Amino acid sequence: MTLDRKVGLLAGLRYKGGGPMLAWILHRITGLGMIVFIALHVIASLLGGDIGIAINTVYQSLYFQLFVVFGIIFHGVNGLRIIVLDLWPKFIEYQRESTWLEWFIILPVYGLTAFVMISRFLAGE
Amino acid sequence: MEVKLKVFRYNPEDDEGKHFDTFTLEAEPTDRVLDLLEQVKNYVDGTLTFRRSCAHGVCGSDAIRINGVNRLACKVLVQDLKSKTVKIEPILGLEVEKDLVVDMEPFFRHYKSVLPYFVNDDPPPMKERLQSPEERSRFDDTTKCILCASCTTSCPSFWINEEYVGPSAIVNAHRFIYDSRDQAAAERLEILNDQFGVYRCHTIFNCTDACPREIEVTKAVGEVKKAIATGRLE
Repeated sequence: MTLDRKVGLLAGLRYKGGGPMLAWILHRITGLGMIVFIALHVIASLLGGDIGIAINTVYQSLYFQLFVVFGIIFHGVNGLRIIVLDLWPKFIEYQRESTWLEWFIILPVYGLTAFVMISRFLAGE
Repeated sequence: MEVKLKVFRYNPEDDEGKHFDTFTLEAEPTDRVLDLLEQVKNYVDGTLTFRRSCAHGVCGSDAIRINGVNRLACKVLVQDLKSKTVKIEPILGLEVEKDLVVDMEPFFRHYKSVLPYFVNDDPPPMKERLQSPEERSRFDDTTKCILCASCTTSCPSFWINEEYVGPSAIVNAHRFIYDSRDQAAAERLEILNDQFGVYRCHTIFNCTDACPREIEVTKAVGEVKKAIATGRLE
């Protein structure tokens, strides 16, 4: 009897695909993160009361906001990179450079945003 | 130098199930991983089962996972591995028959589905069907495929769904779609414009990294995607 072909999540994650595979995984995680963020907003508004306030506390926390902002910036920039590569396949041979360019955009934009958010948080705003 | 070879084992005829066996071997830095497997099979444990044929990177029989990534065992030197422990596993997404041998039937089924042969119903000319060097170079990269399945079995879309045609079949379709002498490009594009066709590719690039012939697999898939979307062969 042959062994099942099923590839579990852990077996898949153990495959050493390198930077582009990590970018793909991060793209999925950040996409899900945004769905969770929006869903929490809707659920909090729908339920109201103590549960609504409890949910508000989660998504208004600095850590959650820092994650969501990173998720939005990464998902947007990485998505644009994929769109460019899909529309102009000749650029695919520069995919390694495109990944560097992506982080060259993400890091300063996210760094500046996080700096402003943390400064305001520390200032008690 | 001393090398620890940690090999995935599975024998359908015993009750041990899947497990790893570790062999400590003496190896030269210039030995290939295939030499290590041969050393185990010939001198330590004759039951170790794996595919190999030409042993020179041409036949594509010995695609396996070496330290977590798809490679041909005959093309990886011990000195190029960053560790003295070498983990050997079968390629992912295909049923394991024994040890490192997988059932390649789904892979070849997808290969056959894209009409991987020359189609031209015009009467054959007296001499050859002429093609300019530029026209020939358009699909040169995708002629290099050796059907080792390294690309297809490195693709998360294929891991998730066996019905996905896979990068190797798309590469072999590309080889004929862009051949100026062929007449079945539209038919192949129609086959690949399917829910399990090219659009399952999420530009992850594992296939390009895994290809032992250094084919720009993702680029070929991208070109086929664009040809389907625009209806033009550029």
